[in-house]
Amino acid sequence: MDLALSQHHQSFRSELHDWIAAELTRTWSQELRDPANGEHELIELRRAWQRKLNEAGYLGLSWPEEWGGRGLGQVEEVIAAEEFAGADAPPGINVLGLNLCAPALIHHGNEEQRRRFIPPMLAGDEIWCQGFSEPGAGSDLASLRTRAELSGDHFVVNGQKCWTTFGPWADWIFLLARTDPDDRYGGISFILVDLATEGIEVRPLRQITGENEFGEVFFDNARVPAANVVGEIGQGWPIAMTVLGYERGAGTADQAARLGNDLRTLISTCRELGIDDTETRRRLGKLVVDLEVMRANGYRTIADLDAGKAPGPESSIEKLVWSEYDQRLRLAALDILGPGGQLLRSEPAARSDVDWPRNFLWSRAETIFSGSSEIQRNIIAKRVLSLPTL
Amino acid sequence: MNFDLSDDQRLLRDSFAELLANESSVDKAREVAESDGEGFSRELWAQMAGLGYLGLVAPELAGGHGLGGVELALVCEEMAKRCFPGPYLEQVLAIKVIEVAGGQDELLGRLVSGEALAVIADRDGVWPGQTPDLRFEDGRVKGRAYFVPYAGSATHLIVRTAAGAFLAEGPFETRRMQALDEAARFYEVGLDNEAVPLCEDGPVVEVTSTFGLLGAAAFGLGIAGETLSRCLDYARERETFGRPIGIYQSLQHRMADMLLRTESSRSAVYRAAWCLDNEHEETGLALLAARAYAVEAARLNSQEAIQIHGGNGFTWEYDLHRYLKRAMTLDQFYGRSGEILEMAHEAAAGAL
Repeated sequence: MDLALSQHHQSFRSELHDWIAAELTRTWSQELRDPANGEHELIELRRAWQRKLNEAGYLGLSWPEEWGGRGLGQVEEVIAAEEFAGADAPPGINVLGLNLCAPALIHHGNEEQRRRFIPPMLAGDEIWCQGFSEPGAGSDLASLRTRAELSGDHFVVNGQKCWTTFGPWADWIFLLARTDPDDRYGGISFILVDLATEGIEVRPLRQITGENEFGEVFFDNARVPAANVVGEIGQGWPIAMTVLGYERGAGTADQAARLGNDLRTLISTCRELGIDDTETRRRLGKLVVDLEVMRANGYRTIADLDAGKAPGPESSIEKLVWSEYDQRLRLAALDILGPGGQLLRSEPAARSDVDWPRNFLWSRAETIFSGSSEIQRNIIAKRVLSLPTL
Repeated sequence: MNFDLSDDQRLLRDSFAELLANESSVDKAREVAESDGEGFSRELWAQMAGLGYLGLVAPELAGGHGLGGVELALVCEEMAKRCFPGPYLEQVLAIKVIEVAGGQDELLGRLVSGEALAVIADRDGVWPGQTPDLRFEDGRVKGRAYFVPYAGSATHLIVRTAAGAFLAEGPFETRRMQALDEAARFYEVGLDNEAVPLCEDGPVVEVTSTFGLLGAAAFGLGIAGETLSRCLDYARERETFGRPIGIYQSLQHRMADMLLRTESSRSAVYRAAWCLDNEHEETGLALLAARAYAVEAARLNSQEAIQIHGGNGFTWEYDLHRYLKRAMTLDQFYGRSGEILEMAHEAAAGAL
């Protein structure tokens, strides 16, 4: 057992740490608090930060160099995610493209697709959204009904996607569509679609936070080149499962750093406000303990990655751990901070460090997206514990 | 980086598991626990001494192996799985304190060889907030100590007083205190024994807040994992409405959570052990976290195991109660869980 970072991983961390210190002039929390920053400005800030990262070579760290990556390992990805979260850097603008679509292209796409799509994805010139869920297909994703019918060298796409994160700002969508209505799993294809195509309409969908990060995407006889299918026609389901594995894994790396920042802020806020009763100290202590355990899980994951083990269905455990922790942290903050904790960030009396009410509401989504907690527990029961299935 | 045990560590764990499988089946452990006797098998104890397990973390000069936290955790985890009864962790801690205090090399050798048995008598009263008046006067320790583990078998006690720790020699006047866990042996000790000053309180705190927390955490991990594995076996065999109960989502999700707690405990316990062995700067908090989390995991998993086994789970013969009782005992020793959470908070707040 060796849980210490190797010399070259340590130097990677300190090099990146110094780079962030030099390049990040305002934290993301500060940008969010700035009344001059509306939804559009915040998106442009995220795009600008992503460009900086790309120019400095801090995107696609573990991808092969020939497709714009750095050819490093998963360990560097995790280190980078921790450093960005620890520094409260802006979130990337093209998270879905980089974390989900690019791995699909690298593992299943063809050379032409990689050359065409990966560079503008890295540069933030083309923003991607994920077209998986539908009004009638959330947890039961394979029941999706959006049709893509092959007609000559084009697909004709009809149907509707919803809860599409980044939908309103995206240029492209990677779509799961049904190419064979009679084959539940084998009749699904993974298709890249330009949202500017005639017959596509994107409508914003307001979330419980009041934000419009979501969208609904409507397809009405939209014609999409057949060359935009990733892998073979009918291969979409296994590709989607690989991609979701990445989403669960990638989503985990920076969570402990991000949550640790907010927990420390809560602890010092309590100290400043003189909140020091036994119940509060124990509740905060439990959050400290659980954060340490999450970090230990993280070290174990990095160590396994470094030893060359591929992430397995255990990533479902990690997703449960961080998403449910986040909800407990936000709820604890609102309970402990009382009425003041509910003030919106635009309110002058609000504390400037953490947007507790927004993050409390946002945390409700985390046990639903990327496979709800119930789906994660199903995966663990079936694929890790090998319990019998119906 | 890697999270894997070394070949030596795997060998140690497997041979110890084999020893327990041969010499201390759960049936045997049950018999020992329920007897009126000392609460452990002297025969097995002697075997463990002969094979070097009593001196696992003891210095080599005293006949020990000088191994570290990871090895201790592995042994404790195996013990927990099989409900091993006996003062193993208790004596390991006493040995560590005596080692840190220094000046008792001959006794160390006798503890490692199993000839002598020492445990720590803490300053805890019966109820929260009570501190019994344990004192050193005229070359003797005096007063009444409570909840002293295995004192009825001990040849020596390390008695904590306001003026530091003293090494008292038996025989001791003891009365067994029967508590929730029939496998445990707690005693009220009426002290008026010859003693020598051993050390300040510092070394005792140092040992209980390192090896003590770690050992308790590893017991918690063992309980969490074993109760899950029993549930998985049962859920595949037991049928209701013509199907194995493991097919029902309500039970699947409970077992998924049991796995989450077991594997998270494993990460936390091994990381804390590794930190301890490598004098890592985060050792203190890592140990508190491992102890708090893994013991809670043991409590929750053993409760769930009884529920998942239904009426059978509530019977004496199904043994699940043994794990729950052990978990509840762990919860109150090597730090009380509530206080450990406060210490974790303090450690995090202090680092700000």
